Amino acid sequence: MKTLSPAKKWNKYFTAGLVMTGAAVFLGLLGLFWTPYSTTAMSAAERFAAPSWRHLFGTDNFGRDIFSRVMQGMGTTIVISTLVVLFSGAAGILLGALTGYFGGVLDEAVMRVTDAVNGFPSILLALVFISILGNGRQNLILSLGIVFVPSYVRIVRGEYLRLRDADYIKRARLMGVGRFRILFVHILPNILPVFGVSVMIGLNNAILAESGMSYLGIGVQAPDASLGNMLSDAQGYLQAAPWYALAPGMVIVWIVLGFSLFSEGIRRRVE
Amino acid sequence: MIRIEDLSVAFDGPEVVKNVSLEIRDGEILGVVGESGCGKSVTALTLMGLVAESARVTSGRIYFDDTLLLEAGRPRDKALYRRFQGDEMSMVFQEPMTSLNPTQRAGKQVDEVLRLHTRLDAAERRKKVLETFEAVGLKDAETVYASYPHQLSGGMRQRVMIAMAVILHPRLLVADEPTTALDVTVQNQIVSLLQKINRQQNNAMLFITHDLNLARRLCQRIAVMKDGCVVEQGETEQIFRHPEQDYTRRLLEAVPSRMKRRKSPYVPAEEQALSDPVVQVRDLSVYYQDGGNSLFGKKRRHCVVKDVNFEIYPGESLGLVGESGCGKTTLSRAVLGINRDIEGQVLHSTLRPQMIFQDPYSSLNPARTVGWQLQEPLRAQGATAVGGAMTRADMEAAACDMLRRVGMDERYFYRRPAQLSGGQRQRVSIAQALITHPGFIIADEPVSALDVTIQAQIMELMQRLRREMKLSFLFISHDINVVYQMCDRIMVMKEGRIIETGETEEIFDSPKEEYTKELLASARNNVQ
Repeated sequence: MKTLSPAKKWNKYFTAGLVMTGAAVFLGLLGLFWTPYSTTAMSAAERFAAPSWRHLFGTDNFGRDIFSRVMQGMGTTIVISTLVVLFSGAAGILLGALTGYFGGVLDEAVMRVTDAVNGFPSILLALVFISILGNGRQNLILSLGIVFVPSYVRIVRGEYLRLRDADYIKRARLMGVGRFRILFVHILPNILPVFGVSVMIGLNNAILAESGMSYLGIGVQAPDASLGNMLSDAQGYLQAAPWYALAPGMVIVWIVLGFSLFSEGIRRRVE
Repeated sequence: MIRIEDLSVAFDGPEVVKNVSLEIRDGEILGVVGESGCGKSVTALTLMGLVAESARVTSGRIYFDDTLLLEAGRPRDKALYRRFQGDEMSMVFQEPMTSLNPTQRAGKQVDEVLRLHTRLDAAERRKKVLETFEAVGLKDAETVYASYPHQLSGGMRQRVMIAMAVILHPRLLVADEPTTALDVTVQNQIVSLLQKINRQQNNAMLFITHDLNLARRLCQRIAVMKDGCVVEQGETEQIFRHPEQDYTRRLLEAVPSRMKRRKSPYVPAEEQALSDPVVQVRDLSVYYQDGGNSLFGKKRRHCVVKDVNFEIYPGESLGLVGESGCGKTTLSRAVLGINRDIEGQVLHSTLRPQMIFQDPYSSLNPARTVGWQLQEPLRAQGATAVGGAMTRADMEAAACDMLRRVGMDERYFYRRPAQLSGGQRQRVSIAQALITHPGFIIADEPVSALDVTIQAQIMELMQRLRREMKLSFLFISHDINVVYQMCDRIMVMKEGRIIETGETEEIFDSPKEEYTKELLASARNNVQ
């Protein structure tokens, strides 16, 4: 029998991750509806204002408040990444469950396709999908989602392979429980701890990927703010206004570090 | 020679070994018996200096001759231990597969012991290893020397382990359940071997086991442990004949053996013959396919079970015995209809036979509550029922009722398997199998993984349910004594064939086949 000691249940990774992630998610989601300043209002008088109490992170080349834009950008990034992970996670569970449990030709086919997808750098592949589907948020979510599916399929498939011959699953079959009920009611709850951790890690990757795509100008389009396109805008002013690039960059680091600590904390709790 | 005084060991929480004092004399075999979790292994590992780093010795000391090996409150002296490990004392573990390195040849692994502890050159070492292999009964020593562990059988691996342990002629051999993972006949050989080594090398042995019969056969003195304490200690026969403690008495009574009177069949034979059999198996052969896993792999078909005929009548319990790998499980899967690659016929008169598995830890879904799992067969049945499904309340009531019948109560309804003990889990498994009133149950080693006292309780429960619910059993086991208590008739299986069938008494009193006699002989050896 496993009994968790309190120290393991509530570790420092988890606490630090929770605080960092919580702050980022709160500010980000708030930023989608309310920001201290308008994110698009320009002011020629206040171009490149250095950070101050009036403008926490300073202003950019159009005199827009960087803190407000970072808030909104954070929100956009978090929402898009969450949707990407939801899409790829759901597809991963479905495909992984079917291939892992039933095996056979379907398994071979799906696994070879995922091998092929894994063979390319994920950003490159997402670029290809975007260029086929066209620009826009939905297409960004869809193409990043597709790129992330294989990793989930592999994890879920492995777990199903491991559990499909467990004694309690054999017994469920003997009771006459239907196949799909076995797949999603009997087995699925048992893989959720493992799956949960990989979702957290996936969320991190999705945030980085979304930022990368937006940086390349293929993700979120101006004048909407996103952490990636802010970085790319700031590139020309590294000398004149270093805070312009520093703010979104630090925020990306903050979010990714927060999620990493959070998922590590969860992993330690689960094990 | 070895003195353990007042030893207590604790991990994170409370002490798992409490004030244990043991003494092992030169040339003596001391048995430590007790149920799982009683602290017998931790005691042995502490003695050997192999216990996990997180263990703390909270009181007591251990002496080897006059050397103080270990004392509470002092850090473990690793250098001192290294002098004793191997040369003076060594250990044989339970699981021969995981105790050997799978990537190295068996000979090399034994050779390493000599390389570390002696100054012999390569040729001398090789000669010594081969000699030892022969001494532990490995006939083709040269072949074994060059084999990898997976190429050896369980019994051979255990012999290699023993060779490794005795090659330096240590004065103390600690054997932790060395035969538990082996078949009865092999078990027997290993025990004889240990006895022989003890006589020839005159070394002392600490023999840890949960099997009282084994301890009785092998040990001169026995210490009985419970919850970390030694409750009784003395000469073997003294303990077996006149146990002083209640716990020892209960432990002895729980051991299934022929000495105890068997209860007569619950359904009279005449009545059984009048009704139609619940299961009829006609000329059944079962095949197994190899290499079907990869896309282009060539499939090979093996015949695992050949021409099996039998029937089971209502209320009857049929035993199926044989060594592991003889096809028992394959046959049971074919009878259940899981294994489809068969020739011949399997006829059922009941709707859905159910199965009880050996391992109580993997036969319940860890993610679901006990109540949920008990209702699941009813829900599954409801999905195909003609007269409509049971209502929620009905199902819950049925689950609670079943829980009571297996000797548990509603408090367990919302618990998860992780919160139950092994015996309780096996009870829930049985409840789950019986809740749809299947009439026919296949039990595959249902008590083999349990401690003796729990084993006795579960066997009693199965007998009671059999009577109450008019159940028929196909009872699979390698333990002849368990089968003797549980079954009306016995089938003996060897290499995929049923070689002998008959009434239990008949098989036990006058077995016809050589193999059956051998099987019975090793079982009897264990008893007396």
